[in-house]
Amino acid sequence: MSDAPLVEVRNLTVDYVGANTVSRAVNGIDFDIRPGEAFGLAGESGCGKSTVAFALARLTRLPGLVSGGAVRFMGEDVLSFSAERLRRYRWSEVSFVFQSAMNALNPVIKVSEQIEDAILAHRPKASRAETLARAAELFELVGISPRRLDDYPHQFSGGMRQRICIAMALALEPKLIIMDEPTTALDVVVQRDIIEQICELKARFGFSVLFITHDLGLMIEFCDRIGVMYAGELVEVAPAGAILTAPQHPYTRALGRSFPPLSGPRVRLEGIAGSPPSLSALPEGCRFSPRCGEAIPVCMRLAPELRPTPATGGEAACHLLS
Amino acid sequence: MAFLLRRLGFYFGAFFVAITLNFLIPRLMPGDPATRILLSLRGKLRPDQIDAIRKTYGFSGSLWDQYLQYLWRLAHFDFGISTVNFPEPTASLLFYAAGWTLVLVGAATTLSFGIGITMGIWSAWRRGGFFDTFFTPINVMLNAFTPAVVALLLWYAFTMQWPIFPLGRAHEMNLTPGFNLETLLSVAWHAVLPVASIVIVSFGAWHLGMRNTMINLLNEDFVLLAKAKGLSDRRIRNRYVARNAILPQITSLALSIGFVLGGAFITEVVFNYPGLGKFTLNAIQTRDYSFIQAQLILLTMSVLVANLASDVLNVILDPRLRSAGRA
Repeated sequence: MSDAPLVEVRNLTVDYVGANTVSRAVNGIDFDIRPGEAFGLAGESGCGKSTVAFALARLTRLPGLVSGGAVRFMGEDVLSFSAERLRRYRWSEVSFVFQSAMNALNPVIKVSEQIEDAILAHRPKASRAETLARAAELFELVGISPRRLDDYPHQFSGGMRQRICIAMALALEPKLIIMDEPTTALDVVVQRDIIEQICELKARFGFSVLFITHDLGLMIEFCDRIGVMYAGELVEVAPAGAILTAPQHPYTRALGRSFPPLSGPRVRLEGIAGSPPSLSALPEGCRFSPRCGEAIPVCMRLAPELRPTPATGGEAACHLLS
Repeated sequence: MAFLLRRLGFYFGAFFVAITLNFLIPRLMPGDPATRILLSLRGKLRPDQIDAIRKTYGFSGSLWDQYLQYLWRLAHFDFGISTVNFPEPTASLLFYAAGWTLVLVGAATTLSFGIGITMGIWSAWRRGGFFDTFFTPINVMLNAFTPAVVALLLWYAFTMQWPIFPLGRAHEMNLTPGFNLETLLSVAWHAVLPVASIVIVSFGAWHLGMRNTMINLLNEDFVLLAKAKGLSDRRIRNRYVARNAILPQITSLALSIGFVLGGAFITEVVFNYPGLGKFTLNAIQTRDYSFIQAQLILLTMSVLVANLASDVLNVILDPRLRSAGRA
């Protein structure tokens, strides 16, 4: 993994603009996604994970606004793409799998058409036979009979719909697939199948994944590296294993303690006391300090910066580590 | 299919109830029309003449006999003889008038739906843009007018003050009837003001309905995904947003038919247009009983047919309804 990163996110800042207020949903975060890597973004609801994901394809919708920083895809500055370059960049370089397979498909048109129009939008000269053949091929990749191409979304189960979404995401062989809670709406057994399927496809096609979920267990299993977000900031980035075995940041530790281990003795789960701060009333200093059991006086005054953590080979933002 | 059959059964039941009420109500009121005619003739009739008149109107025999007779006549489109245009059968008058009303209602509905939906799509797509901020309030205002007011204004402006458009009749008198260009143009020219009166007050409702449904759909995940797929704006707007937003409008289309018919009735009277509205007003003024009854049945039927048509359209356009029937 010594090659140049596929995606470089630098000091990315996203605001939500109200009538008189500006809420900073993402506050200057930095991370890379390397070719073929599965990078995870973990954190509580509302910490800005999905906002980051949408910003990567400039899909941020009003009142959201990317107000600073840079997103570079293979060295190109995504934030300064022209409308047409952006349209071509979407899906052929970066595709999406959303949480709600139920709502991610247009209910009134055939699934084949929804796959084909993604292809046609980027290869306008493709013939109907070609796009249909590709759609059939994609269906087989995710284990659905191509006979069902002419069906409508409501005729599929939730798991199958998510497979269709994955098939659709693969249509143009993008280099990065952003998966925003791809299995959250599914039951545990189907979740397992879907994740295995994604792993298989990833091994076969070598795309990178930006994986977003609040299920830390699932994420540790699937991802190579994980970034932990809290209140719009990255507090720790580390290899997945290290997040489990040697979490450096108190928040990462707390997050880990709030999930049941898959094996081993029963332990009492601890939640994290309190709730994340409102973006319009952020605490001084470290944003986690009011809920942190280990906070020291400096935490209330000064916001810590990401620093390399030799123990994990990653980075963490905590005064306790310096 | 099962869905449509169920609906069809429902409409048939509704139709039956409607025609039965149409039979019962005049018979529950004191003084049937035959008696009224007899009274107006002040007893100058022989008993066999009285009997003949009662028979003509279907008011002889037991209630049950009358009902069966009524149904039998209805099944043969026999609505009796018009008293005003005696001895013209009511049915032929009715179908003549209904034809012209259909021209008005058909043209007005098509135009107002087409204009309103198109405007709705544009103003939702550029929400808060010039088009939206300019036309949305105007259409809200226009929508608050009644067809009668607009018809009178247009009548005064374009047939009295500036007599651009013709008044009265549905086409020029000296025309060779049939489907030739001259006739069609003349019909269209005569229909301009009546149709405009209805369209002006009704397209705003489609604009607002389509706009609001579109705006709600813009936040759907499948629209975001369509954008993420790199589809063109046009395709997202038409195939993903508008395609879904049109469904509830088609349901409203059936509900609006009553309103449009009411508007047509009034504009026909204002512009002296030979449709159902004008004939019905005549019939009421002259107590042409069989015509009033017949046009009520026709109106009931047309509302039911409009509903059925919107059901069929919805089934064609919404795959979810198709399999709802299968399940």
